[in-house]
Amino acid sequence: MKRFLTTKGLIGIILLTVIGLIAIIGPMVIPAEAGTAMDMTARRSPPSLKHLFGTDQLGRDLLIRVILGARTSLQIAVSAVVMSIVLGLPLGLISGYFGGRIDNVLMRLVDTLLAFPALLLALTISAVLGPNVQNTIIAIGVAFTPFLARIIRGEALRVAQMPYVEAARSSGTTDSMIMVRHVLPNILPAVIVQGTISLAFAILAEAGLSFLGLGTQPPAASWGLMIQASRDQLDIAPWTALVPGLAVARTVLGLNMFGDVLRDILDPRSK
Amino acid sequence: MTYILNRLLSVILTLFLITLVTFAVTNILPGDVAMMIMGTQSNPEALAGLRESLGLNDPLLVQYGRWIGGMLSGDWGNSLIFKKPIAELLAQKAVASAIIVVMSMTIALAMAVPLGVWAAVHRDKWQDTVSSTSALMGVSLPDFFWGIVMILVFARWLGWFPSSGFVEPSVDFMGTLRHAFLPSLALGLGLMAHLTRMTRSTMTGILSQEFIRVARAKGLSERTVIWRYALANAIGPVITIAGLQIGYLFGSIIVMEFLFSYTGMGWLTYQALLNRDLPLIQATVFVIAAVVMLTNLAVDLLYVVIDPRIKLG
Repeated sequence: MKRFLTTKGLIGIILLTVIGLIAIIGPMVIPAEAGTAMDMTARRSPPSLKHLFGTDQLGRDLLIRVILGARTSLQIAVSAVVMSIVLGLPLGLISGYFGGRIDNVLMRLVDTLLAFPALLLALTISAVLGPNVQNTIIAIGVAFTPFLARIIRGEALRVAQMPYVEAARSSGTTDSMIMVRHVLPNILPAVIVQGTISLAFAILAEAGLSFLGLGTQPPAASWGLMIQASRDQLDIAPWTALVPGLAVARTVLGLNMFGDVLRDILDPRSK
Repeated sequence: MTYILNRLLSVILTLFLITLVTFAVTNILPGDVAMMIMGTQSNPEALAGLRESLGLNDPLLVQYGRWIGGMLSGDWGNSLIFKKPIAELLAQKAVASAIIVVMSMTIALAMAVPLGVWAAVHRDKWQDTVSSTSALMGVSLPDFFWGIVMILVFARWLGWFPSSGFVEPSVDFMGTLRHAFLPSLALGLGLMAHLTRMTRSTMTGILSQEFIRVARAKGLSERTVIWRYALANAIGPVITIAGLQIGYLFGSIIVMEFLFSYTGMGWLTYQALLNRDLPLIQATVFVIAAVVMLTNLAVDLLYVVIDPRIKLG
């Protein structure tokens, strides 16, 4: 636990805790209507006491929207990463554990998928399925799977050659049992580290998709959507871009810092 | 020779798999293409007509065969929104994107390598912190946010660069570069972080090696030791990471070209996706994946040229 207490680790943990609490508690205290409540007398008003972060082109309070957006962004990012782990884990585990022909075939497929930029894959899937929250999750989840499968496969390959796996095998334990009982627990640290780092990418991907209109749809509050709306009013209301932009930055920064420290602790070889 | 032949076979196989994935993603997923094009409110007869004319009623295998056959014979079909041959559109837009890709990678390397070297030379001092913090900042903001900042500062406030559009290089080459600069700078900032880290860590490893101590002991200037001896050995892994980032870059140009109304491949892909132009989606997605794959191959081969210790095998 002590090893989390580096400057980087502390900043990361604090950032993530604050954002996590905002995302969970925010929507409980703020009624959903507040996010879309328009104040036409105060359109594009700069940050003030009444509207701490200012308002957007429809007079909606940016503080409230950025808080509600935290929920959207985190929900989508976490679900997408969980999905990519659920899909990538068996793929990588089987490929790395059995090796040989299975590995060749599976990894050829994964390598092919890796030729597709993740954002392009996510955009295409979202466009084909029709953009909404659920499909954004699927799009990002599928797009991130090949990357996770590759990492997990490498780890499984390493663990599968360990003496304790050999011992289990020679004592007649079945392959599936070895994979679940011996290989899986030993690759989990790497999966957790990659999951954390993927979360940062998923937040960015969600913002990118929504920014392009192929993710979360208005009038829902999403950081990417808010940045998109700010495009046409940069000169007169730069805060409409800065507020959601910095929200994304804080979150991604927190995840990256935490991920770095986590990696140093859980996966010392990569140092 | 066997190596090159094997590699070539593998490229062809991967290209084939890329066409399969592209086709699968755009076809097998639920979602009716005709409805995507015409909207959910359109009348059933018009939908049926469109399905028929697009050949959507044929078995998937037939559709796939037709697509591949067309591509091999140079007939890539027509774009539904631009009403133009797709091959012509692609050729037109590829130049614009090539400029941005090269420019942003150059900017990223030009910033990341000195920054990484600087951090490695002053390891664990304030320079190291500055370097790693700025790299972390670069990667933590979405690149389109950097794009917006660039527009605000360099286009609107200072007025140094145009904030949108693209000029054909044959018309006004300087104009082309000026239009490409801001999107490339924004992309470069996003790419920089990883490259800085990689440069720092490989440089740190190499600076602690014996031959560096020998070079210093020989009385060579610090400049020669670092830039000629150490960096020459550290650049390989950095180039590899740069190559791997081509994939990421091709995802990012979609957002960036949209933001800057820069009419390249990314912009074309986005128009295709937004308007559900299926033939154009398939073509752009395939071309981008193929280019990423071939670039990675080129980097692999380049690596062999840069680092004579690596033998083909």
